[in-house]
Amino acid sequence: MQGSKTAFEELYREHVGRVYGLCLRMTSDHALAEDLTQETFVQAWRNLPRFEARSSFGTWLHRIAVNTVLGQARRRSELLGDTGTIEQQLGDVLADEAAGEPGSTRDLEAAIAGLPPGARYVLVLAGVYGYSHEETSAMLGVAVGTCKAQLHRARKLLRQRLGEPQEQP
Amino acid sequence: MSPLTGKHERRLDQDLAGLPQSIEPRRDLWPGIAARLESGRVRPARRWAWQAAAAVLLVASSSIVTLQLVKSRVPAVADAPASAPVPSAMPAAFGPGHALDPEYLAAKEQLAEMLAQRVDAMPASARSKLAANLAELQRATAEINAALALQPGDPLLEELLLNAYQAELGVMANVNQLTRLNGTVNQTDSARIRL
Repeated sequence: MQGSKTAFEELYREHVGRVYGLCLRMTSDHALAEDLTQETFVQAWRNLPRFEARSSFGTWLHRIAVNTVLGQARRRSELLGDTGTIEQQLGDVLADEAAGEPGSTRDLEAAIAGLPPGARYVLVLAGVYGYSHEETSAMLGVAVGTCKAQLHRARKLLRQRLGEPQEQP
Repeated sequence: MSPLTGKHERRLDQDLAGLPQSIEPRRDLWPGIAARLESGRVRPARRWAWQAAAAVLLVASSSIVTLQLVKSRVPAVADAPASAPVPSAMPAAFGPGHALDPEYLAAKEQLAEMLAQRVDAMPASARSKLAANLAELQRATAEINAALALQPGDPLLEELLLNAYQAELGVMANVNQLTRLNGTVNQTDSARIRL
């Protein structure tokens, strides 16, 4: 048991940055992202016997993290109603995180954090973490077409917020 | 899309892909996780995976028997495209200085040989997917074996390794079963070769 925990801690040390990065970008909230990261690793421990190595351990952890974030968002939505305004108010959190980065990175993180949740989830998974439309739609439990539409919307909103030229109709 | 807009699109994609994927939390989250694991509400990895492995082996072995029975009746597939390289079965070991059961290894070897014979009958997309799946499994196994070399006998790592072996057998048995009726895999069936 203790040996297993030692090994699991090694896995935690190796993967926590990618899990926390995903949770933070999906929630735009440091404290919440920390809670969700902890919950992700606890869930991973519980479900280790089900890990079949059909994907990398990192991808498996990301799937658990996305489920954890979505579950939390659903519960919060039930309690608070539409949280879109709250999410947008938190839009400068990642800008603070990227304060030491070049201006473009800081602006981009802030623009991502200010996106509506649905568009932000898809953009983070597909745009930042490089998952395919199929993988992203499976993780989020939406149709591939919905995923593509949300990504198109997210990129359009990002370009608007970054002051870049818009696609002509 | 105008050329200018297309250029901005590509730059945006590059900027997104260039963002750091890893962000370190501002505090160490492990103590909180470890406390929850210690609370007793979370069960540890278990040894029953050996029984599951035996079950998978049984399924895999039965598919071999089935295939051997129908093999002589399966026509060769004409005009099958040249096969993409598919990784061979990974050498099965259970950490340094350990080996898996000889019967397990023999069944695995038979499945691998059959897979090599069948792979030409698969559509190119399915072959590519299969190769990617097996390569991913081999990569995962190499990672776990490396960790086992550092911590020999660790039950968690052993279980993860066993899961990887099961997954590989499952993929091979799945492909072999899908090709058993007519020697080829149609597009619908190829979609069942899941990641």
